[in-house]
Amino acid sequence: MSTYSFLIRRVLQALAVVLLVTVVVFCLLHALPGGPARGILGPQATASQIAAFNHEQGLDKPLPVQYLYFLNQLVHGDLGMSYTLNEPVSQLITERLPKTLLLTVLSAVIGLLFAVPLGVWQAVRRNKPADYVITTLSFIAYSTPVYFLGLILVLVFSQVLPWFPAQAPQGNSVADILAQPQGLVLPVVAGAATMVAVFSRYMRSATLENLTEDYVRTARAGGTRPRAILTRHVFRNSLTPVVAMLGYYVPVLFGGALVVEQLFNYPGMGLLFWTAAQSSDYPVLLGCVLVISIATVTGTLLADILQRVIDPRVKAGRS
Amino acid sequence: MSSLASLDGLESKPAPAVSGTRLAVRRFLRNRLAVVGLGVVVFFVLFCFVGPLVYETDQTHTLLQQVNQSPSGAHWLGTDAVGHDELGRLMYGGKVSLIVGLSAGVLATVIGTLWGAAAGYAGGWIDAVMMRVVDAGIAIPALFILLVVSAITTPDLTGLVLILGLISWLVPSRLVRAETLTLKNRDFVLTLRAIGGGHGRAIVRHILPNSVSTVIVAATFQIADAILLVAYVSYLGLGVQPPSTDWGGMLSTGMTAAYSGYWWLIVPPGLAIILVVWAFNAIGDGLRDAFDVRGRA
Amino acid sequence: MSAVRRPAAPVAGEHILDLDDLGVEFTTETGTVRAVRGVSLHVAPGETLALVGESGSGKSTVALAAMGLLSGNARATGRAVVDGTDIVGADEERLSGLRGSTVSMVFQEPATALDPLSRVGKQIAEVIRNHRRISAADAAERAVELLRRVGIPEPEQRARSYPFQLSGGQRQRVVIAMAIANEPALLIADEPTTALDVTVQAEILDLLRRLAAETGTGVLLVTHNMGVVADFADRVAVMYQGALVETGSVEDVLLRPSHDYTKRLLSAVPRLSVAEADGPGERPAPEPDAAAAGEPAVELKDVSVVFGRGKHAVHALKGVSFAVHPGETLGLVGESGSGKSTASRVALGLIGPTAGSVTLFGADLAATRARARRALRAGIGVVLQDPVASLDPRMTVGECVAEPLRVHRRRLSRREREALVADVLDRVRLPREMARRAPRELSGGQRQRVSLARALVLEPRLLVADEPTSALDVSVQEAVLEVIRELQEELGFACLFVSHDLAVVQQFARRVVVMRAGRAEEQGLTSATLLHPETDYTRRLLAAVPVPDPVVQRGRRAERLATLAAGRTEEQG
Repeated sequence: MSTYSFLIRRVLQALAVVLLVTVVVFCLLHALPGGPARGILGPQATASQIAAFNHEQGLDKPLPVQYLYFLNQLVHGDLGMSYTLNEPVSQLITERLPKTLLLTVLSAVIGLLFAVPLGVWQAVRRNKPADYVITTLSFIAYSTPVYFLGLILVLVFSQVLPWFPAQAPQGNSVADILAQPQGLVLPVVAGAATMVAVFSRYMRSATLENLTEDYVRTARAGGTRPRAILTRHVFRNSLTPVVAMLGYYVPVLFGGALVVEQLFNYPGMGLLFWTAAQSSDYPVLLGCVLVISIATVTGTLLADILQRVIDPRVKAGRS
Repeated sequence: MSSLASLDGLESKPAPAVSGTRLAVRRFLRNRLAVVGLGVVVFFVLFCFVGPLVYETDQTHTLLQQVNQSPSGAHWLGTDAVGHDELGRLMYGGKVSLIVGLSAGVLATVIGTLWGAAAGYAGGWIDAVMMRVVDAGIAIPALFILLVVSAITTPDLTGLVLILGLISWLVPSRLVRAETLTLKNRDFVLTLRAIGGGHGRAIVRHILPNSVSTVIVAATFQIADAILLVAYVSYLGLGVQPPSTDWGGMLSTGMTAAYSGYWWLIVPPGLAIILVVWAFNAIGDGLRDAFDVRGRA
Repeated sequence: MSAVRRPAAPVAGEHILDLDDLGVEFTTETGTVRAVRGVSLHVAPGETLALVGESGSGKSTVALAAMGLLSGNARATGRAVVDGTDIVGADEERLSGLRGSTVSMVFQEPATALDPLSRVGKQIAEVIRNHRRISAADAAERAVELLRRVGIPEPEQRARSYPFQLSGGQRQRVVIAMAIANEPALLIADEPTTALDVTVQAEILDLLRRLAAETGTGVLLVTHNMGVVADFADRVAVMYQGALVETGSVEDVLLRPSHDYTKRLLSAVPRLSVAEADGPGERPAPEPDAAAAGEPAVELKDVSVVFGRGKHAVHALKGVSFAVHPGETLGLVGESGSGKSTASRVALGLIGPTAGSVTLFGADLAATRARARRALRAGIGVVLQDPVASLDPRMTVGECVAEPLRVHRRRLSRREREALVADVLDRVRLPREMARRAPRELSGGQRQRVSLARALVLEPRLLVADEPTSALDVSVQEAVLEVIRELQEELGFACLFVSHDLAVVQQFARRVVVMRAGRAEEQGLTSATLLHPETDYTRRLLAAVPVPDPVVQRGRRAERLATLAAGRTEEQG
């Protein structure tokens, strides 16, 4: 399969998924009792006020019509106006998405930098005390709710030991935020912890599996030393399935960002989403979910492409 | 005929007759972390369901004369902002966390199993469409959905289980689909199909019984995830209503108090969540190795 | 030249490999297993010793022990001296220095023996650089040279290929290139051709023989295939249940075996009957085909099968026709990818033909309704290749055998069903008590007989057997084939027998279809087609089969090589 036809097929699949997401989100929002109007105007609103609001927002039309209307706007980059912030949703999102991407990419990269060597090391020391300790620690990290972990981090590294600020850097641009790196430490650690736990486990089992492969025996029979077998052969072969898992992990990363941003008051999409949920700001909720889904699907796509780059078999259409 | 008998002895004998289940049990028991995990789960079940009978506390009335007391002989883990005994509350809240987590985990596994088995067995375009739906579901982070739901409604316990089950069936559905795909092409299923056996028989007599271990392992991990998700629920504003509570609820209401130094309001529920989720993960890990099935790492 | 290069080994005398009272134990979940006991043997420079035995005899364990490649749960005792160094107890650093330079190994499974993510040239160069201080560029050049030596066309391009881009035979050549990269004094080959088609097997054996002769390398050849032994070995050592039972020259062991086990083993090996060597010979006049008069049990007419669409379409079958008549066995032979398994699955109705028609018991499958088709299928019995995958591990043997009854004769009471199961277990010569056992407690041969019992419980008119014995040892194979043959005489079913093994088909089938690349290359009575084939392809196929008689095989090899050389000159001319 050529690279082009692969890309076209994958992009079409991704579009189908995004379209399905819009349906899910749209249905979710219209399943609510009283509709969006009740949420905005409050419980005191009269029936006529609600009717007027619904008419103004096009909410009195049949659902499929509303959905098509919504899709049409979407194609033109129009996600509607925020009910509460009085700004176009698209503008709110363009302003905040880069900051959330910064947080998630930073967490992911740092998480992987720890997880991958840790997993390999565990595999090499399989069933030795070090392996048990790290296994236990990664299960604990996996089992800790991110908000609890964040709270502990703040209590320890900001209250007891005044090393890092408890509040994330504020600012309108990515550059502003990067200018205050010490404020990023705790949010990134909180975001990366689960990642380290999950991916060190993946890497451990992938490495263990590869260590039993025939090609390892062939390399040993050729006189290649154990360390070289690990670095030249096993490592690359183990990384391939882990990269594939990266794609599935993107939604978890964004979920983590939602909590981390709220906890550290980080001015990204997660926080925007959070405040929108508190004030029933449906256009913002809808826009955020949509953008996050597109980001997830894109992330999965990137992981697929990365996998093609490092594994020649995938490129050739067999695996 | 004599040649047959004599040649039979030449073949190497198969493994001694240890039943598959017994072998799996033996393997599981050798995994120390898994056994500890099992112990932790048993402990917490007793703690939450039998504990309140032994250690009786008032968890309904506000007791203003004893708010935010630190741990003492009378209240081993202190009291909270409305004067409830924290140890008693841990039992009381744990009951909700465990029930909701278990039910949601099992529900998610059931939905995932049915969906995945159907997609895998049907194959072709039905499979493609069904799996695109799963892709779409996975593309929306669960916490985002929960937050949207919290903006819309405050569900009761049953509603909560339904919501949690409905957003976390996607991963088990993928696992079961993969399992079904391999099983339906196994020789014993092909043989049955060739002699005219029906789809029903193939599914009920072969595919389902042989996916049981995969499903059990998936369910264990799913329960761990569900209990963790329940802990997020109150934090996201979907929690059970006071005076009822769960560990997650205790944790999120205790968070503000933590800055005032009332550590006993967050450490016990936090540890309880971590321990139980850890335990189910360790059990899942042990079961996966014992059954020798594929599952998540 | 390597014989000269090596210093005289002080301990082992003239031997490059010396095993002295070697034992190997494995610690497993179910206890300790003694896989190898008191094995003593030697390999001299330039000679080939074949270590033969059936599965579980411990022959591969001996090979791995000699490389120091035993798995972590194994413990070796005794001595295994390679070129003066005792492998048992040597540390990893010492072993790494020996492996790939003094002693090297060729493995069974070329599909998995190479790192899938590294280019093959690089993998060969790695072995060179493990033992010699030369630049990467020089090593790469050497790798290309080695690929040329093992007969890979366009070695410069192929060196840049990944393993998956090569065929199985080519991959095995790459593994061999790695093994000879540093001109080892000893080459250990563990079933080097078992996973390959017979024509490829012949080529690989020729290659190994040439390389060993060129460099005076001693070879330890581990194999279960007596034909390969006859073709390649100077001396033979026979293993049975972890111990050596007989050692001697290849002529002595294969033609005049002294140990009982060796005798029984050799008598169980199916032998390809070959036509008198001189001339094409007269094709015997086709004997009157009595069975053909009746209605065939199954008939494929001009069947084509295409998998996939457009550019990726795979034409698995192209216009294949054959019929199986009641009471007769039709053999379907061919190499991997020839379409023989696809053809059997079409006959079973598991794969629908893209074009052409399938007639089962006189009814066109495409034209029958689902219900009628189901009834027709009650007349089919199936035995597939894999003894492990054929039986549901969650059922007892009795339940497995009773399954066809539950599908087609639902009215039977439990007692009637059990009686029929006991009856059919008797027929395949398994004890009735076995009905209560789990398949995993049975040996491979017993499992295949359970599959056969299940296939026969409805007294079918057609038995489809797809490589039913290729996963079994020869002695067990003989027993299973014997049962099928006796029951066929008794019950008179038609049998479609798929196999890659020409010798088995020759003994077992009355008529044969030779498949090649999705087509029926040639078909006819076995006695005619496999003795005096009409097509070049069948002739080449037959010539590539090694026979377990070293004298005959030597002649066959010379003849085959002469034919090949003649073909080459013709092409050039």
